[in-house]
Amino acid sequence: MFAEELKTIRRLGIRHVLLQLLNFASVIASGLMIWKGLGLITNSESPIVVVLSGSMEPAFYRGDLLFLTNPANVPYHTGDITVYKVPGGQIPIVHRVLETRGVVRRASSSAKKAAAKGLADEGKEGAVLRTQPEAEVEQLLLTKGDNNHIDDIDLYEGLEWLERRHVVGKVRGFLPYIGYVTIAMNDFPKLKYALLGILGLVALVQRE
Amino acid sequence: MHSIYARINNFSAFLSSCILTLLGAIALSSFLFTANPQGDLSVLSVKVYPGNSRRQPGLSQEYTFVNFNISADLTPLFHWNTKQLFLYLQAEYTDAKGVRNDVVIWDRIVRRKEEAVINVVGRNKYVFRDISHSFKNVPPANYSLQYNLMPHVGVLTYGEAGRTTEPVPFPPAQDFVSR
Repeated sequence: MFAEELKTIRRLGIRHVLLQLLNFASVIASGLMIWKGLGLITNSESPIVVVLSGSMEPAFYRGDLLFLTNPANVPYHTGDITVYKVPGGQIPIVHRVLETRGVVRRASSSAKKAAAKGLADEGKEGAVLRTQPEAEVEQLLLTKGDNNHIDDIDLYEGLEWLERRHVVGKVRGFLPYIGYVTIAMNDFPKLKYALLGILGLVALVQRE
Repeated sequence: MHSIYARINNFSAFLSSCILTLLGAIALSSFLFTANPQGDLSVLSVKVYPGNSRRQPGLSQEYTFVNFNISADLTPLFHWNTKQLFLYLQAEYTDAKGVRNDVVIWDRIVRRKEEAVINVVGRNKYVFRDISHSFKNVPPANYSLQYNLMPHVGVLTYGEAGRTTEPVPFPPAQDFVSR
C-alpha cells in the first residue's frame, strides 16, 4: 500500500524527510505561538472558545466561535457575556451577567499604591466607585444563560457569587459554526486521529 | 502540477479566503450603522416586602418589586447584520458603602424587526434583592433600558435606549397583609 510512498522517500533521501519534519514542527510551533500571543494580548487564558451547549440560544448555538478579551482592572457590566470556570467545574461556561455587585475589601499596600496612581483616570472609568482610596472594591457577579429560566448559582459549585478570578473573558466577537469541527472531533475521536494522520503523511510525502 | 490534489488544494484555499474576506467585510460594514434610538422608561411603583430566601431557608430578606412602563421603537437597530437584540432593564444604585450595584430585573430577546417596537407595562422578572438583605439604607436607584446588539458575524455592541429622569427611592418595607 505504501510502497509508492516508501520509494519516494528512499529516492528523495533522509535529508528531505528531515526537512519536511522541520517544516511540520515549525507549523505546529507557529500555531502555538499565535495562540499564546493572543492570550497575552487579550489577557485571557483561552482567547477563542467554542460554544458547547445550547444554554445561550438563540444568541449562540453549539459550534459557534467566540473571541474573548479580559482587560485587567476593567469592571464587568450587566449584559456582558462572560466565559467562566469555577473551581471544580468541568468545562468553561458561556453565560450573561445578570447582577454586578461591588464589595469593599481591605486593600494590600501594593493595591493602595495602584489606587492612588489610578485616581486620576477614575473619572473616565467610573463604573466602580471608590470612595476610600485605601479600600479595594471587588466585583461579584451573578450570571444566567439566555435560554435558562433561573440564574447560575447552582452551577457555581457551592459559591454564592462569581468572582473576577473565575472569569476567563468577555465575549467581544462572534463567528458562527466554524467551531463545529472541534465538536465533531471530540464526539468522534477516530476522526481526529484520521485527520492528524492524513495531514502528517501528506506533509511528509509531498514534493515541493 | 495539474494533479487532482493540487486542484482541490487551490480551489479550497481560494474558496476559504473568499468566504473569510466576505465575512470580514460584513463584520466591518456594521460599523456604518450607528443608529441610537431612544425610548421612554418610567417606573410606576416600587414596593419592598420582607420574605424568606428560597435558597437559604431561615434567612429572611427584603425583596423589591418594580412596576415599570417601557415604550421604545428599536427598529433602526435592525440592519442586515443584526441577528438579535438582547434588551434588558437594570436598576443601578450606589449602596451605603459607596459601591456600585447593577441588577437586571427584566429582559427580552428581540429577534425580528417586526417585534422591535416595544410597549411593555410590567413587573420585574428576576428577583431584586440587596447584598445586605435589606433596602433600608439603600439610596434611590436609577433605572435604565440597555441593549446588546448581536450580529450574524462580528463584534457585539452595547447601548442605552432609555433612563429614568430622576432616581427612584426605595420605600420602607411593608408587610404582605394590608392593615
